[in-house]
Order: sequence, then structure tokens, then C-alpha cells
Amino acid sequence: MRKFLAVVKHEYKKIVVKWTFLIGTLLFPLLGVGFAIVPAIIFSMKGEPTRLVVVDSSSKIAPRLKENLSSSRIAAKAQQAANESLKDMNASQEDRIKSGATQLASGFIFVDFDAAGKTPEQIREELNQKAASDQIDAYLLIPRDVAGANSQFEFRSRKAGDFVANDTVKDALNDAIRSQRLADANINEATLQNINQNVDFDSKSISETGEEKDGDSLFIASLVIGMMIYISLTIYGQIIMGAVVEEKETRIAEILFSSARPFDLMFGKLVGVGLAGLTQLGIWVGSLAALFAFLSTQADMGPILETLPRVTPLMVLYFFAYFLVGYFTYAAVFALIGSMVTTVQEGGQFAFPPIMIMLVGFYFGFAVIRDPNSSLSFWVSISPFFAPLTMPIRILAETPPLWEIGLSLLLNGLTIAGLVWIAARVYRVGMLMYGKRATIPEVLKWIRQA
Amino acid sequence: MSDGEASLKVENVTKRFGDFTAVENLSFDVRAGRVFGFLGPNGAGKTTTIRMIVGITAPDEGVIELFGERMSSKLQDRIGYLPEERGLYKKMKIADQLRYFAALKDVPAAVAEKRIDQWLERLNLSEWKNKKTTDLSKGMQQKIQFISTVLHDPDLLILDEPFSGLDPVNVEFMIDVLAEFKTRNKTIIFSTHLMETAERLCHDIILINKSRKVIGGSLREVKAGYGKNLIALRAVGGETVLADRSLVASAAEHSDQIEIELAEGGDPQLLLKRLLDSGAKIAKFEQIEPSLNDIFIDQVGGDTSSEFQL
Repeated sequence: MRKFLAVVKHEYKKIVVKWTFLIGTLLFPLLGVGFAIVPAIIFSMKGEPTRLVVVDSSSKIAPRLKENLSSSRIAAKAQQAANESLKDMNASQEDRIKSGATQLASGFIFVDFDAAGKTPEQIREELNQKAASDQIDAYLLIPRDVAGANSQFEFRSRKAGDFVANDTVKDALNDAIRSQRLADANINEATLQNINQNVDFDSKSISETGEEKDGDSLFIASLVIGMMIYISLTIYGQIIMGAVVEEKETRIAEILFSSARPFDLMFGKLVGVGLAGLTQLGIWVGSLAALFAFLSTQADMGPILETLPRVTPLMVLYFFAYFLVGYFTYAAVFALIGSMVTTVQEGGQFAFPPIMIMLVGFYFGFAVIRDPNSSLSFWVSISPFFAPLTMPIRILAETPPLWEIGLSLLLNGLTIAGLVWIAARVYRVGMLMYGKRATIPEVLKWIRQA
Repeated sequence: MSDGEASLKVENVTKRFGDFTAVENLSFDVRAGRVFGFLGPNGAGKTTTIRMIVGITAPDEGVIELFGERMSSKLQDRIGYLPEERGLYKKMKIADQLRYFAALKDVPAAVAEKRIDQWLERLNLSEWKNKKTTDLSKGMQQKIQFISTVLHDPDLLILDEPFSGLDPVNVEFMIDVLAEFKTRNKTIIFSTHLMETAERLCHDIILINKSRKVIGGSLREVKAGYGKNLIALRAVGGETVLADRSLVASAAEHSDQIEIELAEGGDPQLLLKRLLDSGAKIAKFEQIEPSLNDIFIDQVGGDTSSEFQL
């Protein structure tokens, strides 16, 4: 037992007391925090206002435009855009950048300009000069006839790259013109607002207990959890394989085997590396919890947090349990592969099948999100190899009856016992086989041998 | 064999891998305070035998007894094993590796810490304590491996080709360490195919070839028993005596001496007397003991075809 613990400690320290572990562990939550916080920070940053001259030959548009460009209107629009962008996760990258950037709009200052009695050419020349001498940033020329098919609105800006300001002006102008045209057609503003109102499409799923759950955020949360498990399993599986191959390649195995029982050595390795994985996952889950705790103090984030799926401590417990189930399942497979091959590169080829199985399990996760109560969801969430990747998602989406979770844990527990037993037998012989990769028939023979 | 209880007994041990018999009905005793040479060509079954002694594998037949007990994992803590093919963790600090190896031998951490410092100092490696393996030269790594073998102060030390890759200074140094272990009544098994080294260090030997024991016993016994009655002679005259086939089986003329192999039952004293009687002027008359190398080559010959290793 003491030796087993020595192996556990050795493997744990080997991973955790290392720069790469610190970096890898910090990077993940930092990315998460970054995605959540950075837009909020930028949102709160105000750029310099754009100094704008409006020359309104029609003398009907300017007041409406100015009202549309007032800071309160812009802020309201930005809030709306932010809400939409959160709901609409399928929006294209470009749309997202734009809608995100709308939140950056920083307001306008209207500079008075006396255009009376000047020809359009004179006006342009004067305004261009003002722009060049940094007295104004942009100007807008509104034609006399705003309704005409050929009427052109000229917008000239020093900040040509400021698509936010440009778009804001364009949108405000369009709104103003539309309002004017409707007013001309005797439709009043209130009626217009009613007509333009978007429907509020509130999509939520209903659980068996009658609770409502938010569909979109459930999808994202499941995706995050699926990814997290998939990535950890791949990383820690490969770490196991690397550690086994190293001991074989450097012939340390011979010294180890003359000091401790092979089973203690292998199982100690699995447990030590597993604890390292658990440590990392714990840090992640902890920092996620801290992040949400922080976000809930931010007034802006309240409504968004409400849409997130409710995560109970029991769910977190299940999550860790299934991480361990997945870890031991695949770690045993990777340990087995490691003791068969002679180099890490060779192991890489053999690592392909288990990684494929994990990937398939990950994709089954999507089917589980779509219908957590289907028979497919049932089978993949109790079946060995797939359960660790699908059951946590199923639990999050729609916690199944306890007996199903119990059955799933039992089946997977038995699988792990079998896999560890097989891996230990292959390990015992394979680790002392130098020079050539073991063939499958050889491996089968080792497993049968007492 | 002379006095003293055997600390290691290998009795009628056989190990098979499928159809291949790696070790067949092998028996020998090793006594404390003496260096035991375990000799044989590659593939003779040395590594397999050693692996059974250190408890990595179990014999199919026969018994291995260490310090009066049947070999078990508990006894592993009293053995220090330096395998021929050996290594260290590449990216781990030297001290951490040594701590780990000591922990696997159940050495309390504080004791291990003290011994690590002592050994590193003794082998002039103190400044490398917190360096990684990759920073060390191959010779230094060898010394670290040796330290890992003796950290738990084992009662039985098994060294498989311990000097390969070491420079002469360090070989002498290692031999000194072994001598110290010997005086502390430790049992040392020393496996090699370098016969000169074995001849210099070993009190007792066993030579195995093709899974079986060929010869065994104290070095003196082996040589005496193997005696081919060789005589080196430098003399003028006496040719007629040398031509007597009842006394001399062969006489090979070398540059400065004649190497004589006596006939079956031939007596060196009689040969000397006959030579003197014949009036030969003798400058040198020396009975030659066969070297271990000669015995090895004679027994094993050029036949090292078997390359099995497991």
C-alpha cells in the first residue's frame, strides 16, 4: 500500500508540479473569463464622440435624425443588439462583430453650420476644410427632395474606418426618413412602433417535473461540458500513455518491477494521473463558479444568468463522477496501448481508435441534447465508453431517473474493472518486452496467461 | 565450496516461454561477503535468471530462496538490482528520481534524503542534485543509476554489466564501493561477459550457456578442475622429451617460449625431471592456469547464435 501511494504521489507531482500544468490550467478559465468579461469592459468604454454637421436642405429630416442619434436612443439600441446577439448564437462571425461593435457607439455632437445662401459646391468645400483642420469629423448632406428615387444623401467622414459610427448614422437616417415618409402618408408614430415590434419568441423546454428550461443556453452549456470532458479525457489518456511508454523506453520498468508489484505500479499511475486531472477539473469548475458569482453581482448580467440552466451541487458531483468513469475507462486503454508499443510515435497510431470512440461519444451528446429522453439517449448514456461523454449532458438537460444513473455507473464500473484487469496483464509482460511492438495475438496470449 | 551459509539458493529452477526453455534445471548457491560471478554469453538465460531472483517473474519449476525464505515481493526491498538495460526519467530532477526509487523500496523519506546527499557527495555529483537527467553525461547517469541501486542499503546486490560505459577512473571507484559492500558481508552477484573483470573481482562463478549450467564453484576450483595442464617452457635442448607423446600431448612453439599441453595424466614434475635429465638448459618452466576467458571460449565456443531475450 505504501508503495502504491508512492507511485500515486510520484505520478501526481510529475504532472502538477510543472509549468505546463499551471499554464494549461490557467489558460482555460482565462479564455472563459475573457469571453465573458472583455465585451462587458469594452461595452463600458466610451470612445470620443463624432462631431457631425447636418446640412438639411429638406429641413424636415434633421430634427428626427438628431433625436435618433441622441445618446439615450443609441444606448437603448445597443442593449437590444446585445440581447439579440446572446440569443442568436448561430449568427455569422461578421454579424457578431458588428452587433458587438454597435455597443461601442459613442455618441455624436452636432456642430452648427450656416448653409444659407451657399451653393452645394461651396458647402462641400467649406466643410471639407473644416474636417481637414480637425474642427469636425463628418458631415451629412440631406437633399431637398428626400422621397425622390434619385435623391442622394452624402455622408463624408474623416473616420472612414469607423463603420460603427457610419452604420449608426445610416440606420438613424433611414429611421428618420421612414418616419417622415410614414408621417407624409398620415401614419402616426405610435401605430408605426406597434407595427415594427418584433415578436418575443421565448423558447424553453419543460422538464418532467414541470420546470421550464432555456433551450439555447442548455445547448451551449452541454457543448461546454461535452468539450471539457472530451478534451480532458484525450489529454490525460495521452499523458498516461506517454508515462507508460517512457518507463518502457528508458527501461525504468525493469527497476520498478524489481521494487513493486506491476499492478500497484500501473494502478498507482492511473490514480496519480487521475488525481492530477481531477485537480485541474476542480480548478476549472471552481473558477467557473467564481465567475458566475462575479457576474451575478453585475447588474447587466442578471437577465443572462437567469437563462442559464440551473446547476445543482448534485449535478457537479455527477459530473466529477463521470469524469472519473471516463478517465479510468480510457486511461486503462491508453496504459494497455503504452505497454504494447515501443515509442510514443507508435503509440500515437494506436491511440486513434479510442480517440475515435470518444469523438463518437461526443457527437452522441448532440443527439442527447435534442432529445434527452429518447431510447438512443438512454442506451448511449448507460453504455460503456459512451456514457462518460453523454450522461453528464443528459443529466444537465433532463436528469434521468436515479436507477438509470445507477445502472450506467454499474455497467461502466464493471467495464473499468475488466479493462484494468486486462491492462495490468498486458502491462506486466509488455513492459519488459524491448525492441519490438507486441502483436495482437501475443497480447491476447499474455491476457490468457496466468 | 567453502564455509558460510548460502544467502541465495537457486534450486532446480526452470523457466519456459512457450516452447522455448530460457532456463533449464539451474541450481547454484551464493554466499554473503563474496562476489559471485554470473557468466555466460548473450542469450544464455542470465537476464531471465536474474529476473526470477529479483522477483520480476516467477520460475515455472524449482525454488528460489533468499536469506532462508522463499522469494516474495516482501524480500524485494532487500535487493538492489542494476539491470544491464537501464535508464532514468529524462525530464525529472535527479533528487526526485532517487527519492522515488527509494520510496519504492520502502525507505523512510528522511533516511532517503540523508543517503541521497551522502551518495551524491561520495560520487562527486552533489552539484547535479537538482539538475535533470538530460543535463548529465552518460557516465554521470550511470553513477546515478548505481546510487538508485544502493540507496536502500540492500543485502543482495545484483549488478548486470555495471561497468559498461564507465571510464577507468569510475570503474576503479565502483570496485572500491563493491569492496566496501563485501566487507559489510553483503551478497554481490555480478553478471558480465567481460572475463578479465570477472576474474579480478569474483570469488565464485557460474557459467551458463544455452539455458544450462556449464561450470560452477569457486574460481580456484573451477580453474583447477578445468586444468588442461598447460606449461610454458623456455629452454635449449630437450626436443626428444617433448616428442614423447606418452608425456606431452602437444608442443606449440611461440616467439619466445613453447606452450606445452601435457598428455592425459601427465605429471609436470616428471616432465621437468626428464628435461633436466636430457641436459636441456631451462630458463623458464611455468605451470599455466587457464584464464576465465579461455574456459569461457572453450565452453561456449563461437556459438552465440541464440539471441532470445526476455
